[in-house]
Amino acid sequence: MPEIFVDGIAIEAKDGQTVMEAARDAGIYIPGFCWHPNLSIAGNCRLCMVEVEGESGGWMDIACNMPATRGMHVLTNSPKVQERRKAMLELVLLNHPVDCGVCDKAGECMLQDYHYEHNGAPSVATVAKHRTTKFHELSKRILLDNERCVLCSRCVRFTKEVSKSHALGILDRGDHSLVRCDEKRSLDDDPYSDNVVDLCPVGALLSKRFLYKSRVWYLDQTPSVCPGCERGCSVDLWHRKAEWKFAALDPRHNVAIERVTPRENPAVNGPWICNKARDLPDLLERPRGAGPMLKGARVDLGEAAGAARRLIDAARHPVALISSWASNEELDSARATLLPRFRCFVKADHLPQPGERVADDVLILPDKNPNGRRARELFGSAPAALDGADLVLIWGEGFDFAQVPRGAKTILMSPFLAPENGHADAYFATTLQTERSGHYTNFEGVVSAFAPIRPAPAGTVDAATLFGMIAAVARVSA
Amino acid sequence: MPGRALLMDFPVTATSHLLADYRARGGYATLRKVLTSMKPEQVTKEVTASGILGHGGAAFPAGRKWQVIHLDDGQPHYLCANADEGEPGTFKDRWILENAPHRLVESMAIAGYALQVRHAFVYIRGEFDLPYRRLQAAVDEAYDAGLLGERILDTDFAMDLVVYRGAGSYVCGEASGLLASIEGRKGYPRNRPPRLTVKGLFKRPTVVNNVETLANLTTILAMGGEAFKQIGAPKSPGTQLVSISGHVSKPGVYEVEYGYPVAKFIYDDCGGVLAGRKLKCIVPGGISTKVLTAAEIETVTYDHASFTKAGSGVGSGGMIVIAEGTCMVRLLQVMIRFYHHESCGQCTPCRDGMGWMHKLIDGIVAGRGQSGDLERMELIAKANDGTTICGMGDACGYAVVGILAKYRDEFEYWIVHGRSKFDGRLEVDAAELAHA
Repeated sequence: MPEIFVDGIAIEAKDGQTVMEAARDAGIYIPGFCWHPNLSIAGNCRLCMVEVEGESGGWMDIACNMPATRGMHVLTNSPKVQERRKAMLELVLLNHPVDCGVCDKAGECMLQDYHYEHNGAPSVATVAKHRTTKFHELSKRILLDNERCVLCSRCVRFTKEVSKSHALGILDRGDHSLVRCDEKRSLDDDPYSDNVVDLCPVGALLSKRFLYKSRVWYLDQTPSVCPGCERGCSVDLWHRKAEWKFAALDPRHNVAIERVTPRENPAVNGPWICNKARDLPDLLERPRGAGPMLKGARVDLGEAAGAARRLIDAARHPVALISSWASNEELDSARATLLPRFRCFVKADHLPQPGERVADDVLILPDKNPNGRRARELFGSAPAALDGADLVLIWGEGFDFAQVPRGAKTILMSPFLAPENGHADAYFATTLQTERSGHYTNFEGVVSAFAPIRPAPAGTVDAATLFGMIAAVARVSA
Repeated sequence: MPGRALLMDFPVTATSHLLADYRARGGYATLRKVLTSMKPEQVTKEVTASGILGHGGAAFPAGRKWQVIHLDDGQPHYLCANADEGEPGTFKDRWILENAPHRLVESMAIAGYALQVRHAFVYIRGEFDLPYRRLQAAVDEAYDAGLLGERILDTDFAMDLVVYRGAGSYVCGEASGLLASIEGRKGYPRNRPPRLTVKGLFKRPTVVNNVETLANLTTILAMGGEAFKQIGAPKSPGTQLVSISGHVSKPGVYEVEYGYPVAKFIYDDCGGVLAGRKLKCIVPGGISTKVLTAAEIETVTYDHASFTKAGSGVGSGGMIVIAEGTCMVRLLQVMIRFYHHESCGQCTPCRDGMGWMHKLIDGIVAGRGQSGDLERMELIAKANDGTTICGMGDACGYAVVGILAKYRDEFEYWIVHGRSKFDGRLEVDAAELAHA
C-alpha cells in the first residue's frame, strides 16, 4: 500500500495502481479523454499530464500510465500542468469543428467540460481547419463524424478488449488518422456496438436512434433494469423532463423513452449494456391493450375482475402460467393469491429471436426474461402441464393459445395489443415496468430496482393490484 | 580519417562484404573467443566497462540497458538491431549494412550470447535495397558456416537471426514502434513504463540497439572494455560514424573518433563548404538536433559533452552542412513537412501540432504569414516538449526552436516582405563547381 501525495494530500494507493486511479479513488479528478477505468491504457490524449516533484526540479508525465510509488509528490494543478493542459486543449480543438449547437453530445461532452475548465480562451489558431468525413456510416446503428474525433482510441480498444469484435481500427496516420471499420469485420455484428457512443468523449460517434432527437439537458434519467435477458443490466431510461414537456407536438413525445444508457453497476453489468437494451423502446413501446375485455367486449375493471373470479370459482383444475417478466413484488402477490388455488408453472415470456445472439461471455445470457430465477424459486421449474385443465390463467406474453385444452376457459393478463386478447374469456391490460416500481432478481440472485418514468395508461392495472382484487372479490363471494 | 578507425578499418572492395574476406580480416575470431572462454555475465561486464553509448541518437549507455535483463528470469529474451535508419541526413548504418554486414552478424551473436537470446531480429528500413540484400546474404552465409542457428561454432549456444523489413515509417525507428511493427501491428510507439527491457517484443524483455552500437561490440570484446574506454573522449568512448551531407565538398560516411574538432573535420577532412562558400550553420546529428552556427562550432569537439555544452547533440551522426546564403525558412519548411508526414497520429500534441506547424510555415512561405505565427510555432514546440509518447514531438520542437532562436530575422523578413531574404536556395555556379 504505497502512500503518495497528490496536491499535498496523503493518499493510500493500492498496490499496482496508477496515479490516475489512486487520485480518482481519493476523489481528486485528473482530466483525460483516452483513459477509461475499464479499458487498457492508451496514454494518447496527454491531458492527464501531471507534475512530479523531485530533487532535481521534478518532471512531468501522464498520470494514467504512472505507477504510484511510495512517497511520490504529484501536483495535478500546478502552473506548469495548467499550461500544458491549456496547450493540449488548444491542439485538440485545432481541427475540431466546434459545432456544439448541432451536436448530440453537447451538454455531456468531455471536450466542452475540459475546455471551459482548463482553457476557456478563444483559439489562437489562424489556419483553416482540416476537413474530413462527416456522417460516415460505421454501422447500421452508428454514425461517425471524423471532424469531431479526438482519436482517443476508446472505441477501438472497446471492440478489441471488451466486445472482442475487433471491428474498429485507426486508418492512416498523423492528423489524417481515421477511425474506420475493419474491411473484413462489421460493427453490425457486434451486439455491444452502441457502447462506443457512450465511450466517445466527444460527439464523434453518434447513435442513429438518438440522432437529433433531443438535447440531453431536456432529459431526465430514471434508473431501471433491462428485461432483455436474465442478466438484468442496470440501465438509465432517458425521458423528457416534466418542465420541458411539449405542449404542441404529439403528447407521446413527453412519455417516450428517448434513449437507454448503461447505469454503471459493477455487480451486474459494469459500465456496459448490449444493443438490445438500447432498443428497449422497441420492446416496451409496442401498442398496448386498451383495457379489460370479456371475450373481446370492453368492460370496466370491476366487472372483469368479478367475471374472472367466477371463472376461478367454477374451475376444478385451474392452471396458472406465471410470467417471468413479473417483478419480485408481483410474484409474491401471485404466490399469496394464486398458489392455494392453481397449479402454477413458470412461463418464458420471450425466447431468443432469429438473428439475436443467444449467449456470450460478455453480458448476454440465454434466458431472455428478467426474473426467471425468482419465479422458479417461488413456483418451481417443472415444465407446464396443461392436460386436464379447465381454466388457464395466462400471465404475460409468449403463450401459444393452441395449447389450451379443448373446452378450457382462459384468463389473459398482458400489457400489449395482441389477437389473443379478444379470444380470452377475460382479458386484463397490465402495466409495464416503466409505469411502476419494482425489483428483478437476476440469474446470480442480485436484486435490482426499477422506477416508473410515466403514469400507467387508463384501463391498465398492476398485476399485484389485480390479484388483490380477485382475492377481494373472492372474499366477498365466499 | 579523423582519428582512429574501428569500423572502417579495411578497404572497401567488391568482395569485402563477404564472409571469406571478413574471416581474412580476423572476423568471427572474437565470437569464438566469447563463446568458448567467457560467461554471458562477463560479456555484459565488458560492455558496461567500455562505457559505450547508444549510437542511434539518444546516447543511452548500452551496458545499463543490458543490465536490466535478468538472465535467470525464466523468460525468453529478444535482441533487436535497429536498422530503420530514418533520421533525415543520416546514412551511417547503411554503410555498415552494405560493407560490413558480417560485423553486425558477429556482434549480434555476441550480444545474443550475453543476453541469452534465442531469436534475434534486425529491423531494416524498407527503402534499403542493397543493404537488405547484403545483410540477408551475410546471414545466409553465416547460417551455412555454422555461425548462426543451432550449435554456433560447435558450442551449446544457439541463436536465430531474422531480418525483418519495415515498410518505411519514420516512427518505426523508435524502439517500441519498431517492436510493434515486428509483432505485425501498427507502428505506434508505446508508453513507458514498462521499459522494453522489462516488457518488449511479444511482452518479453527485449534489448533494442542501434546497428552501429552493436557493430562496436566485436571491437569491445576483442580489445576489452577498459581498452575501448581509452579511445575517444572522456565519457564518449569510441568512434562515431558520421554521415555528412549538404553543402560540403566531400560528402559521405566518415569515422570520427570522439573528441576530434568539428571545425577541423568539416574544413579539412570533408574539404570544407561546397564551391568555396562560407559556412552558415550545421545540423550536427540528424534534423532533430538543434543547429549550430559557424561561430559556435569553432570550439566544439565531436563528443557528447562538447555538443551538449554548445546546446545541441551528437544525435544520430547525420551531419548536414549548410552554406551561407541558404534560406532557413525553406529549410525549416522541408523539416516540418517531414515531421508532419511522419507523425504517427497517436498522441495529441504531435498529431495536431505538426499539421498546424506545417500550415503555418506553408503560409509564411506563400506570403500569407502573420505577426504571431512564429510565437504560435513556439507554442506548438513547447506543447510538444516532453509531452509525447515517443521523442518525435520533442525532436521537431528542438528543430523549430533551434532555428527560430538563431535565424528569427529571416522568418520575420519573409513575413513582412512576403519573400525570402535570400535567393531561396544555394545557387552553385557550374564553372565554379568544376573549378573546385
